[in-house]
Amino acid sequence: MTRLGIGLRLMASLVATFVVLVLLGGTVAQAQAPVCSVWLIESSRFMKVPFGAFMPDRAFVPGSNSPSNNIPTVDLPVNVGVIKCGSDLILYDTGWKQQDYLKMTGSDHWAPIAEQLKVLGFNAADVTKAVIGHAHWDHAGQLSDLPNAVLYVQKQELAAIEWALNYPEKHIRAINSDPGGCNRTPACGYMPLTMEEVYGKILKGKAVVVDGEMEIAPGVVIHPAFRAHTAGSQLLEVPTSIGKLVFGSDAFSSYEAIRDWMVANVQQTDSVQQFLAYERCYKITGGYENCVAAHEPLSYTDKYPLTKNSWVALNGGRMAEIALAPGEKSRKP
Amino acid sequence: MVLATVVVVAWQHELRPTKRQDAVSTTSPRPEPRALTAEEESYAASLWQIHREVTPSAVAMSFAGIVYETANHDARQLERKLEPVAQFFGDAEPRLRDLRVPASLSRVHSQYVDALVLYRKASQEMLAFTKDGERQHLNDAHDMSVQASQDLLRVGEVLWPGQYKPH
Repeated sequence: MTRLGIGLRLMASLVATFVVLVLLGGTVAQAQAPVCSVWLIESSRFMKVPFGAFMPDRAFVPGSNSPSNNIPTVDLPVNVGVIKCGSDLILYDTGWKQQDYLKMTGSDHWAPIAEQLKVLGFNAADVTKAVIGHAHWDHAGQLSDLPNAVLYVQKQELAAIEWALNYPEKHIRAINSDPGGCNRTPACGYMPLTMEEVYGKILKGKAVVVDGEMEIAPGVVIHPAFRAHTAGSQLLEVPTSIGKLVFGSDAFSSYEAIRDWMVANVQQTDSVQQFLAYERCYKITGGYENCVAAHEPLSYTDKYPLTKNSWVALNGGRMAEIALAPGEKSRKP
Repeated sequence: MVLATVVVVAWQHELRPTKRQDAVSTTSPRPEPRALTAEEESYAASLWQIHREVTPSAVAMSFAGIVYETANHDARQLERKLEPVAQFFGDAEPRLRDLRVPASLSRVHSQYVDALVLYRKASQEMLAFTKDGERQHLNDAHDMSVQASQDLLRVGEVLWPGQYKPH
């Protein structure tokens, strides 16, 4: 073999070795990338909500044969994400705390968050972080029952509520503007008890006021979705064994709405921003299947495949096991 | 090896047969709230005129604290925000006591009065903090506000079921 031939063979061997090492390195890096385990729990269920009040494009039309318009009411779960990433136990949204005001909301199947966590084998005191998608009463309650959790709330969410409270016109600053319910005014839905829970966390030094995007654990990223439901709505990207998930709280109120590009649960919502939040999920996860919706009526059924691995737990409330990290045991009974 | 393990675990997790348990509704019919009499309706409507300003004032009190803690630690600004809130709660008390209360709602009315007194005391506690800087005032005020807000919800349950909708 000539010196040139030996040189070429040596070069080829080096290149091949390099390629193998790169491939192996990539594979190992991929295998070692931290992934989280994820469950979904139903904090409660709002019963018989007119479909059109939830999704205007699905409003019931008497006599219609269209599948989009022939359902008069829907039952809306209030979903809470339970996310275990290494030593972190993270909640995305915290539901609401039913006391003796159950009938007020026409809700059913409520169970205390601490008891629901026990069903999954966790203690409320083990929750390290509570990320609220927004601060409405049915998503940011029970914070005082999570004594060690650090609250993550957007600066923009707080600023918008304060702006509304200081607005001179009484309807604009109303929390509950008329008997029978408020009308999607800027501060509507931020009831005093809920805001005291938020303030309680801040007072105890257990809150992070987030300004935009923030990684709160390896690969677990808060994304702002301002005005996609409320002024300071925020999404949560979570790496799992089934790909990335994005939790959206009420920016993603309905899985079907994300799939079909319809608005849902319009409150302090800019519909353009809601669609942009949907698009963010498509971009991060590669589609709509891994977008986690807060109030999807099809939750815990085959028709919302991400949540189909479900069971009935406390007080008729449902739970789903969505993804398990390697080595994580199933918590499904 | 690691990759192989991951693949096997993922396969076992994703492809193993799982027992599907369809959602079962265990909804039990709950008694509807009792309809109010005309006299009670009149009381509820009068109280609402106060209540619709109590709730934003209660939230404004929390927000005075939130802004103090998260933005500037400016005690003078906190004081300026709290003074009108404390004034409102003080002024609302006699308005509340002047209402004509049906005997059937005397307990509900007492709860509302207690709540308003607690809010007023809470605002005064927070104002005391702006004078002496003692953080225990803020903690005490917070406890009072939480209790007052729970009482407000108890009253709302009787008089205005539905004042907070699914959001």
